[in-house]
Amino acid sequence: MRRKKFNVLIRGFVLATFLLCGVPAWAQTPSQPTTSTQATPAPAMSAPLAVKEANPPAADQMAKGDPSGTLTGNVNDVPVSNPKVGLTLGDAVNQIGQNKVAINFVWTLVTGFLVMFMQAGFAAVETGLCRAKNANHTMMMNFMVYGLGLFAYWVCGFALQMGGAAGVVSLGGAAPLSGEFALHIAGKTWGLWGTHGFFLTQGGTYDVAVMVLFLFEMVFMDTAATIVTGGCAERWKFAAFAMSSVFLAAITYPLFANWAWGGGWLSQLGANYGLGAGYADFAGSGVVHAVGGLSALACAIIIGPRIGKYNRDGSSNAIPGHDITMVLLGCFILAFGWFGFNPGSTLGASGGGALRIATIAVDTMLAGATGSFGAVFYMWIRYGKPDASMSGNGLLAGLVAITAPSGFVNTIGAAIIGLVAGLIVCLSVEFIDRIAHIDDPVGAISVHGTCGLWGVLSVGLFADGTGMGNVKGLFYGNPGQLVAQMIGVATLLGCIFTLTFVFNLFVDYFVGQRVSAQAELEGLDIPEMGALGYPEFVLKMQGPGMAAGVA
Amino acid sequence: MKFMGLLVTVCGWLLPLVGLNLTSSLAGRFIFALAGIGLCLIGILGILNPAYVKDAIWKK
Repeated sequence: MRRKKFNVLIRGFVLATFLLCGVPAWAQTPSQPTTSTQATPAPAMSAPLAVKEANPPAADQMAKGDPSGTLTGNVNDVPVSNPKVGLTLGDAVNQIGQNKVAINFVWTLVTGFLVMFMQAGFAAVETGLCRAKNANHTMMMNFMVYGLGLFAYWVCGFALQMGGAAGVVSLGGAAPLSGEFALHIAGKTWGLWGTHGFFLTQGGTYDVAVMVLFLFEMVFMDTAATIVTGGCAERWKFAAFAMSSVFLAAITYPLFANWAWGGGWLSQLGANYGLGAGYADFAGSGVVHAVGGLSALACAIIIGPRIGKYNRDGSSNAIPGHDITMVLLGCFILAFGWFGFNPGSTLGASGGGALRIATIAVDTMLAGATGSFGAVFYMWIRYGKPDASMSGNGLLAGLVAITAPSGFVNTIGAAIIGLVAGLIVCLSVEFIDRIAHIDDPVGAISVHGTCGLWGVLSVGLFADGTGMGNVKGLFYGNPGQLVAQMIGVATLLGCIFTLTFVFNLFVDYFVGQRVSAQAELEGLDIPEMGALGYPEFVLKMQGPGMAAGVA
Repeated sequence: MKFMGLLVTVCGWLLPLVGLNLTSSLAGRFIFALAGIGLCLIGILGILNPAYVKDAIWKK
């Protein structure tokens, strides 16, 4: 009698769970049965279930349609492995597991699509901040970096980055990604790069979970690659841009991403040296933005400033962009895409604390808002006007800075991180422009480089230990995390910058990084691309360096 | 000077890594990491960039 009651109880529980879209009660915690069942052995997975107890709708009911949506999706939709036996407990539990992974697949893919749309935001921001005579060239760099980067990343970038990153629980494991090249130094293992996943076939990586991971990681890499085009806009030779972008997608980005996300040595600083949870970068302030920003810095130093940017006494001239409405629209597109960037980095919405996505999304929007506050207040107080382009850059600065800590901080921490980023970006733009004499037409070095590094450090300060990975910063009692983050910053500055710089020196030697002075004065649209961005407008020469405006 | 700038920048990266094995004290590692970041910034902004600015197009 008791066994019969138990069977009814357990069947009802499984079917109710399935009907609630597979909340992974048994798949996640098989060793925690309810108190009343502890003394009773679990039923065999192959035992048939009494389907009628789930009360599925009859065929004639379904034939009348389901306007209220209460009948569609029921026990009849659970795949049965053996039709002769009918629905078993094993079938139900397998379906629950697949539902969990399916939720996470869809979440990761959709957020990846949002991040892909950020390419449009970057294109609008960068083109709007450039002069009309370079609109086609700037837009084309942003357009082509997508395909060039994707191709290089498919060939080898993904394998170097994630080839040893097996164990992505939320996506079902991604087991084929099990090859990591590592050195053993001073008794510690230093993972350097992955070895599985070239062309997404080598090493058994023709796998659905690997494909999801590839798509999501690829759009992140492309974000880093497109940052560089802004810092070097209006004087970068298109061929040099193409070569530089391929190198970033194939080598520099994947290397650092492996060290941080692919199981490499930075992520192991906690296990190997007791430094907090190791280098922690939730969605990529360092991996994506600082890599992109520092690559922009390296290229901008090599290429040099635009003609007319500096006077002989070293003072700088402002060269305004041609379309501020396009800039601010691009900023909004980027802010929208950031809801894919940060919350999507959980790689799932079900199980393993993935519901943290709610906090991550709120942290993201808060930091963006306070970032724009910081920049607006700074510009208003210093120059008497709330500068529009710097407001946009402040928003982006806050978003860049919260990218690394978004999975680890509370809303107060997020607001502070964003506000500080909004101030830092203004100071950094002034330093880069007036003291370092580096020409950065869109502020990419400051927004992504400087604020990316700030975001990395802020994890070591504000992480409160409640988020994924139990990361706790200095203000919550773990100074070791700050040291791990600082080592990450030193690696970005000392290794990634240098690698990018040396490769681009080779490009400069063999191809040349900079267009001719005549092409630059004329505008890059015709000399480099063969067509004007705005062919029906008359461009009039004006201001220092004969910058062209739209008449 | 350009080569020197790159060399100093790379040393700024290696310093915290060497520090990890030189000392097990957190304060010591913090100082190594801080010094490494400082060295990197000196290498990039203090040596490498000025070497390029010296020959910049606007000075000609």
